[in-house]
Amino acid sequence: MSDARDALPTQASSPPSGAASRVVVETIRVGKSFSGVTVLQDVDFDLRAGEVHALVGENGAGKSTLMKILAGVHVDYEGTVRVDGEAVRFGGVRDAERAGVSIIHQELNLVPELTAADNIFLGREPLLGGVFVDRRRIVKAAETLVRRLGIDIDPDSRVGELRVGEQQLVEIAKALSLDARILMMDEPTSALSATECETLFKVVRQLAAAGVAIIFTSHRIDEVVALADRVTVLRDGRHVVTAPIETLSAGAIISAMVGREVALTHRDRPPSQGAPVLAVRDLTLDTVSARGWRRVLHGVNFELRPGEILGIGGLLGSGRSEILESIFGAARGWRGGEIAIDGEPVDIRSPTDAFARGVALVTEDRKMRGLHLDSSVRDNVALPSVGALARFGVRDFGREAALAADIVERLSVRCNDADQLVASLSGGNQQKVVIGKWLGVAPRVLLLDEPTRGIDVGAKQEIYELIFELAARGLAIATVSSEMPELLLLSDRVLVMCEGRQTGILSRAEATQETIMRLAAPGVGAGAGGAAS
Amino acid sequence: MNPLRLLSRTKLYWGLALICLIGALLSPHTSSGRNIFLSYQNLTDVLRQVSITGLVATGMTIVILLGGIDLSVGSVMGCSSVICAMLLTKAGWTPASVMAVPAATIAAAFAAGFLAHFIFNGLARGRDVDVGRRREIALGPWRGFRLPALIGCAAGLAVAAFVATQVPTKFGVLAVLVATPCFALVLGAINGAFIVKGRLQPFIATLAMMVSALGIGRLTGGQDFAVTPVYTGTNATEAFEVLRSTVWGLVPMPSIFFLVTIIVFGAILRFTAFGRYVYAIGGNAEAAKLSGVKVAQVQFSAYVISGMLAGLAGVLFVAQYRQGKPDAGSGLELDAIAAVVIGGTSLMGGRGSLAGTFVGVLIFGLLTDILQLQNIDSNVQLLVKGMIIVGTVLVQEQNLGQLMARWRGGPLTTAPPRSESADIRRPPNGAQAPNVAIREELNETS
Repeated sequence: MSDARDALPTQASSPPSGAASRVVVETIRVGKSFSGVTVLQDVDFDLRAGEVHALVGENGAGKSTLMKILAGVHVDYEGTVRVDGEAVRFGGVRDAERAGVSIIHQELNLVPELTAADNIFLGREPLLGGVFVDRRRIVKAAETLVRRLGIDIDPDSRVGELRVGEQQLVEIAKALSLDARILMMDEPTSALSATECETLFKVVRQLAAAGVAIIFTSHRIDEVVALADRVTVLRDGRHVVTAPIETLSAGAIISAMVGREVALTHRDRPPSQGAPVLAVRDLTLDTVSARGWRRVLHGVNFELRPGEILGIGGLLGSGRSEILESIFGAARGWRGGEIAIDGEPVDIRSPTDAFARGVALVTEDRKMRGLHLDSSVRDNVALPSVGALARFGVRDFGREAALAADIVERLSVRCNDADQLVASLSGGNQQKVVIGKWLGVAPRVLLLDEPTRGIDVGAKQEIYELIFELAARGLAIATVSSEMPELLLLSDRVLVMCEGRQTGILSRAEATQETIMRLAAPGVGAGAGGAAS
Repeated sequence: MNPLRLLSRTKLYWGLALICLIGALLSPHTSSGRNIFLSYQNLTDVLRQVSITGLVATGMTIVILLGGIDLSVGSVMGCSSVICAMLLTKAGWTPASVMAVPAATIAAAFAAGFLAHFIFNGLARGRDVDVGRRREIALGPWRGFRLPALIGCAAGLAVAAFVATQVPTKFGVLAVLVATPCFALVLGAINGAFIVKGRLQPFIATLAMMVSALGIGRLTGGQDFAVTPVYTGTNATEAFEVLRSTVWGLVPMPSIFFLVTIIVFGAILRFTAFGRYVYAIGGNAEAAKLSGVKVAQVQFSAYVISGMLAGLAGVLFVAQYRQGKPDAGSGLELDAIAAVVIGGTSLMGGRGSLAGTFVGVLIFGLLTDILQLQNIDSNVQLLVKGMIIVGTVLVQEQNLGQLMARWRGGPLTTAPPRSESADIRRPPNGAQAPNVAIREELNETS
């Protein structure tokens, strides 16, 4: 990491010059952790008036956390934030807004039922006689804002009827109505079409020219290169480099994002053999939303043999989880294609069907979808097996307890006893409980979605060992992961997804952080890849 | 266990004891100096009076544990009482028998078929040695479907034959005890179908049934607000009197129905896989579904049970009050919900017990009794009941301690925050759903 810092120019080496580079926001050794898991550490960052500053890094690098600290969303953090050279500590989003700092979250905060103008002034409506909402003033003010942005939106149209790109612009107008001098956008283009992106970029450049300081995050390196004046790369919650965009190539940015050593033990990988347990052919998934049908998976093909671990890589929203959920019968929408288990085509329509076929899914969202937090370890572990252990529907408490005790021991779940509530366990141990739930029913295919999300490093290692052990016992495993080192460590092969399409399956030898990132990032293509090598 | 915690766990029973104590202390005495409240006669009367609410509350508990609600039970009970009264007093193909006979046939066929499948499944499992490491057993077409279907058809035909023979004369006790709950069961099944298949919210689906069942009851009864009187011995069989008698001079018959029902369903919730699934679905339906629980099937069954118990309550109502009335159960659903809630079952589902409901029902009954013994105006009684509901639930949910703490300005005596959710803060813009915010946080912590 330090060599990357030495090799690339840092912020200190490009001193500010002229009025346009007045520093408006500065962070000094800012850090943040969530219950012991450090997500941001000693980050120095600065933002100048009139610049467009891109914040890049892998999922979980700490981009959103940094922005949320600046926006007053996170109020307990370490270090200092300075606005206009003055140390501040925002007590909340309202404080930040008063100081001219606005944030536009990836999930837009608009009320679809209200008009654009009403959304812009939501909570701050000008009143007539202190009682009635002055609609005429709202609409007029909104029209002024829209004209200032040079965009074509009717302030009287319902936000729900606007396109996502237009909704984004409404958010920007809202921020401007708050006299924002510092505007932060988290993944503003993730849901936009190419033309919508162009409009957004035009507006962003215009705002920057007017002196607004803008921070944005993006996974698309081409966008960063096209739009940003300066780039800051974060990795594992630490600051790697800040540099003017001219001095960094797309390849150099990618290297800075992923460049870290894998310090974890690999397993002795026996060659996977035998007939495939799971075969997926032309898997498609269409989901329905307010805007009609959308295809989220375009023909995914792979085979999985006993003892093999297939990693599924890609960016957030590239359709990784949807693959697992489609196989498990838990995806919302219309599924196409063919799934075969032991060479025999199966029709899995519900998790119950999947369960009967020996397919198990460990969901990404452990707390909401994986566990009953208010129940004991025993009840959670035994739940999928209750029916199988019961005779004539009558539960066999003895067997349930024995099963739970066996799994707690095998997975070395750290708890006082099996009666302890799952809510009181650490993230790593909760994850073991979720995996343990499925071991009781002896699955043959185990689908893991982000198996180490929100787990600290030591516990991660234990989960990895557990996954290796399960594979060694003949389970076929498919795992989705946003963390490159994890993906490389676990996988025998890596399937890479990009925007719902399978862009390739890399063998153990071919898979590196760069090759995966090149297949995963939309818009990087061959050009950026060439620059990286 | 820590004594304070034990006290906190059993506070409901202490509440019941407290109410009994208050009742005994305030109770008027007979001329011979005996305490009226504590007399056996009085206490069994209370038990008799709470039986109808109790039966309905039993079904309601299961539905609420699942995270649902059944508003239709009052109307279904009223409608059932009309059907029952008409079956008892009118011979031939009346609207009541036209509905009740097919309902009984269908319900019996499905119940027997399901039971047969269930038994075959259990037998097949019994032979499997490695029970712990085993998936669902495929029974094959014969034992899995054809034989149960045949058995179901046979049972349906048998019940149809039995019930149909009663049509030309009038229905006897046994026949109404079979036919009326079966009819109500079908109404419950309609609720369940709309909720499970139609994805309607339970509140909406059962509200619609609440209105419809009242209409069905009035149409069946013949005219609006019709009361169908039952005079045992003159227009109905004398044997029907057994349903309001006191068995061996000890326990009122309706109470036996109530007690047996609550014990049976209490055991089902406690000791069967079905019971486990009810709690699991109420606790986190998504996690339960992803754990392979057949959520739709369990939900459907719960509404069926709730409807059936409302029908049984309808029969007991006819026995007790010697009449069938379409609006007999107006407000009953709310009494039942109140009893369930007083019993400590969370309206969010997943937490509570039938034992709690039993105590809740008793608290309600004893309270009415005490107020009546004191000759307190019935409108004041309603007011007091309302206060009791709020008071008990405040104590149940442990909100009282928090309220007091806040009132004193001291620190809140809440449970320590959960390890990982402690830091989760939602952007105060308000438009965002909390779980979205939490997911964002999780994205970041990964």
